[in-house]
Amino acid sequence: MSTRRHFLKLGAAAAMTPTVVSAQSAGAGRVVVIGGGFAGATAARTLKVLEPKLAVTLVEPNPVYTSCPFSNSVLADLREIGQQQFRYDGVKRAGVTVAETSATAVDVDAKAVVLADGSRVSYDRLVMSPGIDFNWAAIPGYDEAAAQKMPHAWKAGAQTVLLRQQLQSMQDGGLVVMSAPANPFRCPPGPYERASLIAYWLKIWKPKSKLLLLDAKDAFSKQRLFQNGWAELYPGMIEWVPLSQGGKVTSVDPATLTLVTEFGSHKAAVANVIPPQRAGAIAAQAGVADRTGWCPVEPVAFESTLRPGIHVLGDAAIMGGMPKSAFAANAQAKVCAVAIVELLAGRKPPDPVLINTCYSLVAADYGISIAGVYRPTNGQLADIPGAGGVSPLEAVGGLRGQEALYASSWFRTITAEVYG
Amino acid sequence: MHRLLPPGLAAALLLVGGSTWAADGPLGGPPGASSCTGCHASAKISDSVIPRVAGRKAADIVTFMREYRSGAWPSSVMGHIAKGFDDQQIDAIAAWFAAQPE
Repeated sequence: MSTRRHFLKLGAAAAMTPTVVSAQSAGAGRVVVIGGGFAGATAARTLKVLEPKLAVTLVEPNPVYTSCPFSNSVLADLREIGQQQFRYDGVKRAGVTVAETSATAVDVDAKAVVLADGSRVSYDRLVMSPGIDFNWAAIPGYDEAAAQKMPHAWKAGAQTVLLRQQLQSMQDGGLVVMSAPANPFRCPPGPYERASLIAYWLKIWKPKSKLLLLDAKDAFSKQRLFQNGWAELYPGMIEWVPLSQGGKVTSVDPATLTLVTEFGSHKAAVANVIPPQRAGAIAAQAGVADRTGWCPVEPVAFESTLRPGIHVLGDAAIMGGMPKSAFAANAQAKVCAVAIVELLAGRKPPDPVLINTCYSLVAADYGISIAGVYRPTNGQLADIPGAGGVSPLEAVGGLRGQEALYASSWFRTITAEVYG
Repeated sequence: MHRLLPPGLAAALLLVGGSTWAADGPLGGPPGASSCTGCHASAKISDSVIPRVAGRKAADIVTFMREYRSGAWPSSVMGHIAKGFDDQQIDAIAAWFAAQPE
């Protein structure tokens, strides 16, 4: 995307308002953003577009971002991992200073972020978008070493490639076992899209194989749409085991690729364990995570209810009815950027309305969707009654194929807006 | 552009800001507008089947949104989304996109 064009777009309606004028007269400010995923990169970039005089620093150790959305398509050989990867050149062109290092701590009292080399970056407002970390203590036997045998592939990149390699090396007839965590977790429909696309690939390359999906809950996002799709496209291939039927994994043995549940144990040819999650570790260090491991925020500027002056976005935050999706992270970041410009200028941020749209693929040419609209209600982001919903159960007129096309167009558009 | 204005003139604009604000909408767009560009590209993208809305006529955007909302025009996600907005909000979002370069 042309930065100039984006500038014009957002600048057009702001041009003759007093907003930017008084931000100038008030002096700009310094904003630090921790984490360059969909939330953080959007926030950093939008802040510079809205108020070029702001000093915006994005702290992100990886020079290349690997997108989780569409990474399930890599498992099914529908995409290459390189198509998931984006650099920060566009963010830099927008005027953001990218510090290619880790943030090791937040000095809340001094309003400074401590970097890996011990240097400090001061801020007037801090945005934290650290994404997720895994709760390694949650499933006995499942630690970082075990993830090399039983990949989670829930942070895209090397883990995605590892899981794909394991699937490709598997004998035809081998059992793939997946486990999905209880709510909340990153990308609620993600495990079910993954099961779908692995089955899509198995049906072509390993047609004697089956997939067992052990679930720590009794219901999931777009459930009837997924289950109808499985019955239609992959009859007998996917077995979903809900919590009430012993779906919760209580321990694993990486040496034998065994997943143990309350009701028995399952030996896998390929095991994909999606463990319970929490906000990225620095959130707890900064004091913005609560006992759940996630970060409570108010619903207008997404400012931490535990640490004023720190905004938390994306998967790490507790966003009321809004799910942990890349679309949501991007939408929250744009709202937050406006709010920060207003707050730095001493004004009250406007009450926002946010949209979430999330597509899942059941097969390469079979897409389903969920959408919602949210606004602050009683201190939380809540669904606007009457809005939102999922694809119809009965698809007419090639709707599933159309939604698969919309899905790839969405990915193309959002990655261009954030990283292009 | 406003950024070229000298501080004195900028302050003068600020004084008459009330009506200007109402005419041009708040920073970053009216409520809901900023979410739209997650799917409806700000820049021209050749390989997207989702239409851009920037620079479209406000009246056309309003018509589409109302017909999505009522179900008169079939859709996948847009019907679900349009039901979250009243007429006034739709008008504001349409004006915001219409004012942008095509």
